[in-house]
Amino acid sequence: MDDRNDPGSENSTAAAGSNAGTSSTRTRIGLDVGTSKVVTARGDSTRSDTGTQLNAFFAVPYSSLHESTLQSNRVPFYREGEELVVYGSASEKFAHMFNAEVRRPMARGVLNPSEPAATHVLETLLSTLVPVARSPGEVLAFSVPAASTETGHALTYHEETLKRYVRERGYTPLAVNEGLAVVLAELAKESFTGIGISCGGGMCNVAVSYLSIPSLTFSLAQGGDFIDSAVGEVVREPATRVKAIKEESLDLTRPGGDKIDKALHIYYDKLIESLVEELIRAVTRSQRLPRSDQPLPIVLAGGTARPNGFRERFEKALRRRTLPFQVADVRLASDPLSATARGALVAALAER
Amino acid sequence: MTAAHEAASSAEQYRRESEPCSRELRAELARITDDIDDPVIKLRYLRSAIERGGATHIEHVPCGPVRRVLYRLHGLKSLDAVAGDKIGAKSLVARTRARRIVAAGVAGSLLFVPMLLVGLAVQREPVAPTIAPAAPAAPLAVAPADPQPPVEPLPESLPADALGVVPGTIWLADRGPGWELYSNGLRIETTYKVRGEQREYRVHHRDGTLEPDTYSKPAGILFHTSESDLWPLEPDFARQLRRGTVGLLHYLQKEQSYNYLIDRFGRVYRIVDDESRANHAGHSVWARNDDVYLDLNSAFLGVSFESRWDGGRSLPITRAQLIAGRNLTHYLRQRFAIAPEMCVTHGLTSISPRQGLIGYHRDWARGFPFEAFGLPDLYAVPPPSVALFGFGHDDEFLHAIGERWPGLVAAEQALTDEARQRAVPVEAIRRERQALYRDWLMVEERG
Repeated sequence: MDDRNDPGSENSTAAAGSNAGTSSTRTRIGLDVGTSKVVTARGDSTRSDTGTQLNAFFAVPYSSLHESTLQSNRVPFYREGEELVVYGSASEKFAHMFNAEVRRPMARGVLNPSEPAATHVLETLLSTLVPVARSPGEVLAFSVPAASTETGHALTYHEETLKRYVRERGYTPLAVNEGLAVVLAELAKESFTGIGISCGGGMCNVAVSYLSIPSLTFSLAQGGDFIDSAVGEVVREPATRVKAIKEESLDLTRPGGDKIDKALHIYYDKLIESLVEELIRAVTRSQRLPRSDQPLPIVLAGGTARPNGFRERFEKALRRRTLPFQVADVRLASDPLSATARGALVAALAER
Repeated sequence: MTAAHEAASSAEQYRRESEPCSRELRAELARITDDIDDPVIKLRYLRSAIERGGATHIEHVPCGPVRRVLYRLHGLKSLDAVAGDKIGAKSLVARTRARRIVAAGVAGSLLFVPMLLVGLAVQREPVAPTIAPAAPAAPLAVAPADPQPPVEPLPESLPADALGVVPGTIWLADRGPGWELYSNGLRIETTYKVRGEQREYRVHHRDGTLEPDTYSKPAGILFHTSESDLWPLEPDFARQLRRGTVGLLHYLQKEQSYNYLIDRFGRVYRIVDDESRANHAGHSVWARNDDVYLDLNSAFLGVSFESRWDGGRSLPITRAQLIAGRNLTHYLRQRFAIAPEMCVTHGLTSISPRQGLIGYHRDWARGFPFEAFGLPDLYAVPPPSVALFGFGHDDEFLHAIGERWPGLVAAEQALTDEARQRAVPVEAIRRERQALYRDWLMVEERG
């Protein structure tokens, strides 16, 4: 870690630093640790600054040429033995230059158990977004997925690792369910009553909240990565290319164009159908939810929910079924990418 | 619970599944938080109100209204947790009032318990107008209870109902103490009637001139929802339903909020008499042909349905209310020769002059059954607040109503077209028009 070269983090922390300088109150941070991206939110209840890093890295053999190339391009990296590890948002852009493959510290919402460098890279990446606390008692609220059969004990390890790291940075950690964080960010006017759904890279997280109390939470171990890899397999293209196309040009309101576009439509529909089915199943099974109550709004957030037409397809899939609850409306978060972090910030700010 | 346990529990609060609190407590807390804009303070308050002790035992109280009052007090007491924060004036006032009520209640119970018990023992339900003892009926087909001008010709004929014989004109068919019965089946309960301030208003013309005459006859009807507490429409809640309406009537009578209230069973109550203005419209604008009305409290009769408007996604009134509302509308239109396009909803007329926005009040901003009332669909008409005075709308409003009604789309399109023609930003046009509204209002107030 001593060899860390971190010019790339300046952009991310500039807003937060200036904000900290003007605020006389204690720092509060909301942190969304997603499989695909790590997002922070800082500020107050009226305005928040967000910082983002791609939750990815790649390693190349050490050479002075590589090192100077990275330095001259101001790419964040550190030296680990005989390797240079490039991490964060620049990793995707520079991986092909070094003929390297991007790796992920996390998979399916938790630390990737098959990635030995996962913890180290994630902590390094977080350090670019989370400054050391200035005084004791500062609160950092971070998102955690709901438990599922897929995550199992890995979730406990993931959460405890994050808590330990947050404490090391001088903060009091506060874990917030990812779906609930979406509710906290977007449903203040509804007194935090409604359904928050965060569709991320590794999984979809859902929380049914009544007055900010999570009465039902669950996760579906499918997300943007599932779509990328499934499409990649059927069209014989690398998942990274599929991901790039998905993020740049996918429009679900139009009929699919080329074969990648068509396959994306198919797997988006599959994800949406699975999500709606699981939501209905979970609500039906739950003993906690009131059977007859007011219609609940549904908020969709996360990078996977961003493509144009996602909300409409989700709503259609919902309306096609007989639901065990009434839906007021289905809406997309004001900023789907930062909603979870902003919700975590609201929770952090509410702590005395 | 140890401190360590408490800390652990607190740390888990945003991820551990818990049962939601009772429906009644949720309703009370949601109502109190309506007045808290800041999401952080709102969250802090809700957490405090839900987690603090004292609410769990309330659910065992057998009497619904008492339970609700206790929940309300619990909720208001929990405002102490955010006392240092900026919370709405309404909540502060409510909290202060609640404290006074509690203090007065304690003092009262100490001093007057015996009297109170005796009083309760002999207390009877307020005499409902429907079970009022029969009194000698007034002669049939006489003039209504209140003096009224002769019926003027209608601007158009009333639509005939699909079934049954409908009298060609509506007259007072019978009357008794506290009620009037009209020939179209409309029965008006008058026990809560009060006289208010004399109805007086002036009319602007679209060219900016202000008519010199002052009018006192209502020119229109403004439909509202009471936004009051609603009990389920089920036999088990008959008592609460009845008491809820009585409480609402007393409040409306005190505040002189509407001219008429239609309860959920379709009973029509006259609250502020027809000759007096009620405080129902706030800042509102409506127009017909060349006439523009800015003081709708005076120019319009306020008719409210005991209900909560839910965004217009479903009809929030009962069948009985719809029938009674239609009969009342027919009667008022005939009595005051009100044009159909002057029967409009509060949500279509309400504005916030300070913010330059429409929809300050949103009741019936969408979903009023104009057709069932034999009225033209005024959602298709460009609202004068936008077309004439350039008021805008925000995302919150759009979110509440779901989508813009066709008249609003047309009015905003016209503003955009004008801006394009004049090669100025549409915002400049809006500012110009809103300044016009302020000028007109000032002229009217001076007059």
